[in-house]
Amino acid sequence: MTTVTTASSRAAGPSLAARLAALDPWQKALIVLGEVLVVLALWQLLVGSWRVINPIFLPPPLSILEGFDELLASGQLGEHVLTSIRSWLTGFGLATLIGVPLGLLMGSSLAVDRVVGPMAWTIYATPMLAYQPLALAWFGFGTGPVVFLVVMGALFPILLNVSAGMRTTSPSLVNAARVYGGRRLQLYRKVFLPSTVAFLIAGMRQGAVMATIALMVAELAGTSTGMGALIVRTANSYQTDQSFAAIAMVVLWSVGMTQLIGGVGRWVAPWTKGAR
Amino acid sequence: MSRRGSDAKYVLLLAGTVAALLVFWQLAVTRLGLVEEAFLPPPTDVGAAFVDLLGDPEFWDAFVFSLQNLFAGLALAIVVGLVVGLTVGWFPVLHFTVAPFLWLLYSTPKVALAPLFILALGLGSASKIALAFLLAVFPILLNTMEGVETVNGSLIRAGRVFGFRGPALGLKIVLPATLPFSLAGIQRGSALAFTGVVLGEFLGGAGGLGHRLEQVAFDFRMAEALAIVLVMVIVANGLLLTISAARRKWAPWYEAGVRSVG
Repeated sequence: MTTVTTASSRAAGPSLAARLAALDPWQKALIVLGEVLVVLALWQLLVGSWRVINPIFLPPPLSILEGFDELLASGQLGEHVLTSIRSWLTGFGLATLIGVPLGLLMGSSLAVDRVVGPMAWTIYATPMLAYQPLALAWFGFGTGPVVFLVVMGALFPILLNVSAGMRTTSPSLVNAARVYGGRRLQLYRKVFLPSTVAFLIAGMRQGAVMATIALMVAELAGTSTGMGALIVRTANSYQTDQSFAAIAMVVLWSVGMTQLIGGVGRWVAPWTKGAR
Repeated sequence: MSRRGSDAKYVLLLAGTVAALLVFWQLAVTRLGLVEEAFLPPPTDVGAAFVDLLGDPEFWDAFVFSLQNLFAGLALAIVVGLVVGLTVGWFPVLHFTVAPFLWLLYSTPKVALAPLFILALGLGSASKIALAFLLAVFPILLNTMEGVETVNGSLIRAGRVFGFRGPALGLKIVLPATLPFSLAGIQRGSALAFTGVVLGEFLGGAGGLGHRLEQVAFDFRMAEALAIVLVMVIVANGLLLTISAARRKWAPWYEAGVRSVG
């Protein structure tokens, strides 16, 4: 609560948890913000003023801002942004709809876990990029393959985390609920769900990161609209300030979504506070 | 004893399910006509295409090209990730200031930079190695960094008593104690490095498995495309299994903890 604890815990020792726990979220955010500003200033100085690197390959922040203006002026930005957001939300929603029930099923039945688990891990371990040309051939150009890849990216983190959460539900809690006469459905709602929520949120956060990666990969490799397509097109015509402006928007989306999911998680399930 | 028996039962169940899926796939395409054969060739065709691939010297050229770049990028990422991770994890001041920034970078979709890497480094190996490195280095670095946090203080004091200082302390005490975390990061990093290599080949095709897959799928030779995907599945999972084996060998005490996560 007070700033005094910050200073003392910093000197206390090497435990990350203790040191960071002493800071409230705003202080942490301020530190990161300060660092981002320092890095941006250095970047501007090194590339923009001293030309240490060819600015075509790494445009300085102020040029990127100009690139953003150019994108806005071109009038096509809205279409690209909307296409990407729609693909992302559709894919992520589908992945959640499939992943949560299947994960719950895997978590509650050992047989399902032992059959679906290895298959899921095998597919998950392979770069989802490998499935992109297949999706392109199956769904044709457009958003079909993009949504497919987003689902593939987001599904497995959600699925595997939910099933892991079910597995780690304390057996004594389950037994206690049974002693008090909890029926099967009640058991799910009152015991398994609350203890799995932390894992679900973690899975959805990982899933959101993976979904953005999948979105980028799919759009870079074969679409005509969407942020990925915009990045490829501007890079290929050496308008890299615009590419970086588009990349920055994708980064903001990715970070914003993971923060949003984390925030929703803390709101609906405050007992998971502290779990990353 | 009974545990082993039930494990064997589940392995059988898994094998049975996979076999049933393959048979269903075969019948759905060839007999029931549920799917167009041109879109999804039956497993027998994919198997035949896979065998053809293994006898094709051009395939092996592509295979070697991809794996060379993968291992070059991954090796760089391991060296940089371990050194930086150990350093940042060890010094509280660095950890306090740099770690949040690294986490921020970690969660950004760096694949979006791929076209710029191709632009800057060309169509050859350099851009693929750089992409593999960029994608792989963060999980390795961050896992190592977090691992250093868990090193037991009494181990370090014991090391000091035996006269280890500076880098020697890092090498003899901190690195081994951090190894299970680093290996978990390397496992994740290797999958991402593979993504980087294949993405580089998709965007700036000059050989490699990704380039060949893209061409074959473009020509609608789906059996061969699926066979190449199968090769990628084998490579990715092979890498993963190799690293888990390394983890069991060099960090057996950590196995229980790792198993629970995956």
